[in-house]
Amino acid sequence: MMLEVENLNVHYGAIHALKGVTFHLQEGEIVALIGANGAGKSTTLNTISRLNKPTAGDIRYRGASIVETPPQDIVTKGIVQVPEGRRIFPKMSVVENLEMGAYIFSDRQRIEADIEMVFGKFPRLRERRKQLGGTLSGGEQQMLAIARGLMARPQLLLLDEPSMGLAPIIVEQIFDIIREINQQGTSILLVEQNAQMALSIADRGYVFETGKIVLEGDAGDLLEDPMVKEAYLGGG
Amino acid sequence: MNKQSLQKSAGSGLVFGIIVIFLALIGFTVVFSGLIQKVLGQSLGVGQIPSISNFFIFLGFLGIWNGWRASRQDKHETLTLAKVLMRAAVAGLSAGVLVMLYGFVVGGLDARGTDMRKYLSMLSSDSIKFFLFNQSLVLGGLIHVGFSTLMALVGGLLAFGSERSQQQVRTNRTKIQKWSQSTWLGKVQGNPYVTYVLMGIVLLLLVLLPRTWGAYWNYVMGTVGIYVLLGLGLNIIVGLSGQLVLGYVAFFAIGAYTFALTTSPEPHNLVWNFWIALAVSVVAAALSGILIGLPILRLRGDYLAIVTLGFGEIIRILLKSDILKDFTMGPRGVRNIAGPTLFGRSFTSDVDFMYLIILAVLLSIFLAKRWQESSIGRAWLAISQDETVAQATGVDTQKYKLLALSLGAAFAGLGGALFASRNQFTGPEDHALMVSINVLVLVIVGGMGSIPGVVLGAFTLKGLPEILRELESYRLLVFGALLVVMMIIRPEGLWPARRPKLEVPVGQDNEPVPLPATAGGEK
Repeated sequence: MMLEVENLNVHYGAIHALKGVTFHLQEGEIVALIGANGAGKSTTLNTISRLNKPTAGDIRYRGASIVETPPQDIVTKGIVQVPEGRRIFPKMSVVENLEMGAYIFSDRQRIEADIEMVFGKFPRLRERRKQLGGTLSGGEQQMLAIARGLMARPQLLLLDEPSMGLAPIIVEQIFDIIREINQQGTSILLVEQNAQMALSIADRGYVFETGKIVLEGDAGDLLEDPMVKEAYLGGG
Repeated sequence: MNKQSLQKSAGSGLVFGIIVIFLALIGFTVVFSGLIQKVLGQSLGVGQIPSISNFFIFLGFLGIWNGWRASRQDKHETLTLAKVLMRAAVAGLSAGVLVMLYGFVVGGLDARGTDMRKYLSMLSSDSIKFFLFNQSLVLGGLIHVGFSTLMALVGGLLAFGSERSQQQVRTNRTKIQKWSQSTWLGKVQGNPYVTYVLMGIVLLLLVLLPRTWGAYWNYVMGTVGIYVLLGLGLNIIVGLSGQLVLGYVAFFAIGAYTFALTTSPEPHNLVWNFWIALAVSVVAAALSGILIGLPILRLRGDYLAIVTLGFGEIIRILLKSDILKDFTMGPRGVRNIAGPTLFGRSFTSDVDFMYLIILAVLLSIFLAKRWQESSIGRAWLAISQDETVAQATGVDTQKYKLLALSLGAAFAGLGGALFASRNQFTGPEDHALMVSINVLVLVIVGGMGSIPGVVLGAFTLKGLPEILRELESYRLLVFGALLVVMMIIRPEGLWPARRPKLEVPVGQDNEPVPLPATAGGEK
């Protein structure tokens, strides 16, 4: 089992944000976490990458608990998060952003080869390589954020709302790339409000509601589920 | 003549009238006129009203500015002389009439014997008479109207002239650029030998100047040097790692007091060797940076600023208090602090100190530059731009923030030790909040994250006030004004940090081409 999350609880001060979340991810899967705003999806991701601290519960990566691992070591273990809202380094160039992504590596040649690799996936970024991150368009920034994530050579990629605020046609491209990354061997945990899009590329999905998982199953089944249809896919 | 544009001119004139009235109400008309008088080299006693001619100079500047602004409402239209003069006259007239009305009100009340200082402490009878040029109510008011209009017309003419010459300047500039690229000037740029020669000249000046320019200049430039040290340190904390620390003076104080207490016969009778004490001071400051950093690491932005602000004050108050009196001599401060010695010889002349400070500055610049350009610097940059993302890419943000704090504090410790040693004295009041603000301002004015910016900022903010000694008491005013002006015209600082520039000029293949065509790559 690649990732097991067991009875995860998170508090923000007095707010009980996650109330005993349990799910898992197999090697090579795309798993989608869907649900409304404030349901706890992003909190789950942030807790896995240790930007948050859980109050109770366990997270196991390849069998070993990572609840006490500091965030920088999580990255070294191969779990990389692409945070919500196209967060890139606005005053660094595209190349510098990518180099930051490879911060945990020091082998110059390997980093350069990896930059070439992500430029192959995102030709748009090659055109803009000297441009400052903050001057890119929204879609380009999201691409850069994902590309920067790839630079750390993740085995498990945590994607937080990659479709947020982007035009439908760009969302489709981004999801194509996500599928491609997965086919090349990276497991993906995807948080999305765009349930339709997320379930269409995912193997399995979990539906979050107010800090709990209320439904789980194969992505195809969830797409057909009347409750999911009602709540997240704009009715039957 | 367009009615709307005249209305605009009248509006902008009224704004200027209000500015003049406001300045008069808070007594700045008198202060500024006095300032002009001092700058012109005439003496002025405390509380004395300056001469009327300086008030005219002051009003003249405002009036010219008024006319200049009013006549340049729209950047895109071509100005004709008639248009310009008309607009300037309207602006000057409306400003003048408004000011005259104000003069009637305060002058009239003053004539009836009302003491306006009850309401506004600056409105003494003298200052009101000064405002009316020591003339009668009506005559004073008319002078205001006339002078304001006249000056606005001058401003309009200047605007007209500059507009005309601007076009000329633009063509000349391209010519000069072309010329300089084709001659030796263009070839010299970017040639490494030129850099070496320039560095050689600077070094030679640094060796020669302290010997030649006398004790006063060594004192002034020594202060500048110490502020360069402080600026380099705060630049690491604020400019590079992006932590807004307002209590930086605490580290300066810790350096100065560590040095003082280990080398002065009083109160502990520890008379350590200069160099050992210096090293210990730097280490003590660096450690204090870590100690202070640990509890506040989770704070960001405003909260960090407030907490560190408090911390700086706590250190000063502790040093001053009776609690530590036996340990730090309380408000009296520590005297007889040792100067530098080398092989048993003492080097305490102003020239020696200048050399010592220059050495410390050069060493610090070298170190700061190395750190900034290393992977540490990259980590700091990432933290300052987005701490969460930096963490998500594997940067140990806690470690690097602490590192920035302690390295920055070390520079302050070095500066503090040299400062105490040079003055042979240090007391709590050497470490007031104003030091933190000075250093922060010099970092911002110089350009956040830029080492040459720090040097330039220190010269501007510590060197210039010494040179313009007369303006010393207005330094706070000048600081505020300088900061505001900087933020408007050069938000990135005098000598901004060099960031990667766009290699592809905008407008070629960098145009916002519709994204879909190429973005996805192979699918």
